[in-house]
Amino acid sequence: MARIGVFVCHCGENISRTVDCAKVSATLKDHPGVVVSQDYKYMCSDPGQTLIKQAIEEHDLTGVVVAACSPHMHEKTFRRAASQAGLNPFVVEMANIREQCSWVHEAGPETDAKAIEIVGTIVEKVKNNVPLETIHIPVTKRALVIGGGIAGIQAALDIADGGAEVVLVEKEPSIGGHMSQLSETFPTLDCSQCILTPRMVEVYQHPRITLHSYSEVESVEGYIGNFHVTVRKKARSVDEDLCTGCGDCQAACPSRKIPSEFDAGLGMRSAIYVPFPQAVPNIPVLDRENCTLFKGRAKGREKDLCGKCKESCLRSAIDYEQEDTLIDEKVGAIVIATGFKLYSVGREQPEGLKGYAEYNYGEIPDVISGLQFERLASASGPTGGQIVRPSDGKVPKKIVFLQCIGSRDPEKGISYCSKICCMYAAKHTMLYRHKVHDGEATVFYMDIRSAGKGYEEFVRRAIEEDGANYIRGRVSRMYRDGETVKVVGYDTLAGETAIFDADMVVLCTAMRPHKGNKNLGRKLSVTYDQYGFISSAHPKLRPVETTTAGVFVAGACMSPSDIPDSIASASAAASKVLGMFSGDELEREPTVAVVNERTCIGCFNCERVCPYGAIEHIDVCNRENEVCGHVARVLPGVCQGCGTCVATCPSKSVELQGFTDEQIFAEINALLTW
Amino acid sequence: MSELQDLARKLLEEGTVQVVIGWEAGRRGLRPVTITDPSDVEKLVFDTRSVHNLATYLDPRRTQVRKLGKPAIVVKGCDTKAVAALLREAQIERDEVVLIGVRCGGVVKDPAGDATLTLETVAPRCAGCDVREPHLADFIIGEEQPEPPQVTSIDERVAELDAMTPDERFEFWASQMEKCVRCYACRQACPLCVCDQCVADKTVPQWIERSPHARGNLSWHMTRALHLAGRCVGCGECERACPVGIPITLINRKLQQIVAESFDFEVSDDPATASPIGTFRDDDREDFIL
Repeated sequence: MARIGVFVCHCGENISRTVDCAKVSATLKDHPGVVVSQDYKYMCSDPGQTLIKQAIEEHDLTGVVVAACSPHMHEKTFRRAASQAGLNPFVVEMANIREQCSWVHEAGPETDAKAIEIVGTIVEKVKNNVPLETIHIPVTKRALVIGGGIAGIQAALDIADGGAEVVLVEKEPSIGGHMSQLSETFPTLDCSQCILTPRMVEVYQHPRITLHSYSEVESVEGYIGNFHVTVRKKARSVDEDLCTGCGDCQAACPSRKIPSEFDAGLGMRSAIYVPFPQAVPNIPVLDRENCTLFKGRAKGREKDLCGKCKESCLRSAIDYEQEDTLIDEKVGAIVIATGFKLYSVGREQPEGLKGYAEYNYGEIPDVISGLQFERLASASGPTGGQIVRPSDGKVPKKIVFLQCIGSRDPEKGISYCSKICCMYAAKHTMLYRHKVHDGEATVFYMDIRSAGKGYEEFVRRAIEEDGANYIRGRVSRMYRDGETVKVVGYDTLAGETAIFDADMVVLCTAMRPHKGNKNLGRKLSVTYDQYGFISSAHPKLRPVETTTAGVFVAGACMSPSDIPDSIASASAAASKVLGMFSGDELEREPTVAVVNERTCIGCFNCERVCPYGAIEHIDVCNRENEVCGHVARVLPGVCQGCGTCVATCPSKSVELQGFTDEQIFAEINALLTW
Repeated sequence: MSELQDLARKLLEEGTVQVVIGWEAGRRGLRPVTITDPSDVEKLVFDTRSVHNLATYLDPRRTQVRKLGKPAIVVKGCDTKAVAALLREAQIERDEVVLIGVRCGGVVKDPAGDATLTLETVAPRCAGCDVREPHLADFIIGEEQPEPPQVTSIDERVAELDAMTPDERFEFWASQMEKCVRCYACRQACPLCVCDQCVADKTVPQWIERSPHARGNLSWHMTRALHLAGRCVGCGECERACPVGIPITLINRKLQQIVAESFDFEVSDDPATASPIGTFRDDDREDFIL
């Protein structure tokens, strides 16, 4: 006989404001099978949990229904409490009367009736719950970090310092990411390279970190604790073991007019190149698209047109025939740290975004992006740190900065705030004034968002000490006017048009997700938001976990974030990984699918629909022990409990533990017979 | 005819197969037959009355056929779609069966009726046939056939139903379902209904009311149709087997149309193309998710 306890939570006022909790509790007391029904202000608090534990012991309960919030929120809390009182945690269920009732209805008898129905339905389900045992799976204590920017570097170092092995995969020829391109960093104005490059070297020299640069994640199989990752190491055309990084090949290369990605197009590089002098690894890569030899081969020339780099290499490290190689890595956890890309201001925009044709970016050479300004201001940049105009090399006396380019503008397709631009614009004005003392810096802003330690003080310093001129308003048009750029804006505080003849204009462009995020998200079964940023499992409580167990996320691939944020989230992800690696086995919830092998007809529709590859074939033998057929079996460690196989199975031979047909049937029946 | 008989004899005598499944002349037109003795091959007949989809005998659960040994079956192009479905869903292996494909110019509705193909007699599914040449077969025999008479296709009947108001349509189906006696002849005749334990027979929990009254009948027919969405090959054997004349193919065809619109998919005779409903792809449509 079922002995169910019902516990109705007020959730402070979240539920009790609209639902009469005492009435719900009293009504359920008379429900068949319910032996105790109580309500309490905060069921998840310690006294609330004690109430449940005491009831379990006192009434010898066989099942518990907590009428409160979503199971996402507190199911674990109450299951843990029940198990402390000696009850199997999987006979505890949540009846969601908050998100599905109190938050979406107004107070009244109908709302109370709905709450009662919801709870009663779950009581009927719990009567059909059976005790389940937690699944134990082995764990490979090795982590994969995808992306070698500052977040990836930090995560890799923290995990490796914690004692586990790390595989770091970076798509570009060098690690370092966007941070390596920056000049100085807010709010302390310390040199970006000076604080980053030692960390890059540390990664390279760490005994527990394996670095695959110029590589990408090809495929991921397996599940938490047991991932099989295939890494595609792209053909570098340089033997990494032989190369000493002397740079002779670079000097010998005749193709020297290729816009440098590292210098955001302001400098030039050769076809075989090291992106920047402090690159890690310090091994060049041959850009086959721009190499004379490969361009000749692509056109079908039989004789190679060039070969200067190979001739120049004393170590014979150049290998034109090198091909992509696939490397298999076995890891237990994955950290996604793919970073961001910047909004490109040009007229051509990817799906759903509009460009800023009115700013003539790309047509006026002295209208540049924020990242280009970083390169101009950087000591390692194309001008050696001199701030000059790209058009004529003159020092600009008037610079106008425009904030919120491509952000906070639903009209252009992006509604979110890019978070870092207010700060980097202030930094730019300071860097400019420190180098050009008589220069005039004007910033067009919408709001100044400077929440962060020392951030507001930093902006005030730019305005008060370095004399930056801040104008609240937007710029509607920009066009070339002789040697200068005419900037036509509106000062909303003064209520008048603000027109400037600027020598240079800097567009503070927004952070956008990498376009590869969606693809990677699919490979890892991780969700992403409407823009393509990777989503957290919970925005507040589980910020660095993803929807896939064992896959974590760090840095700007989640949302726009500055360097301190990225490092904090990377360290958080690393601590999650190390926590996972602290035991020899992982525990998993037993809400997985199970195949009834006696009724399975072996059509393997379940295998075709399973997004996680959790179905295996097993042999069926006759009495003579000969194989006479095949049926499906679910690998409990891989199964995520999504239930797609259950819905697909024509013979109803798959059931999801905790959500069996009988449980669902009981719920539907309860709703219909109420 | 002798080409079919000679081939059947050869396959049996060489021991390539132990049984040939085809048609023979019975008291009321043509009927399926199993031939195990080479001297019986004269019985084999193929003409416009070869209506039955013999692929249904390939279901491994038909032990009375299976115990006869490795089969060769005579198939029309449309039947090969059912064979392809069985291959696709791992119910048979390709080397476990020999397919004798016959070029077909259309069949009649009733295997016991008139053999001449006219607008009145031709089976509706023959309209717009795209598999008159059975490509999947191991042997393709018979002569090139002319196109069958173009009867009103089933799509037009579906369109008539679509034109009704929801109430009228419900009324139509309710009156049809009321006739159902739950004999499950439709299930037995269907080459794709291969489950050991049908959901309709399941009692714990009992999703489908088992007694023949309108509500349970409706659940049965809807479940059957949904299980065939993206799989049904449109052979119409269910409707032909129905003793009370429920137009089952109309439901099947409607679902085929929905699958075609939603997933740009038509059931074919290629075993390698899986049904969109039975597969997961990264770029699956998800615009219906709120």
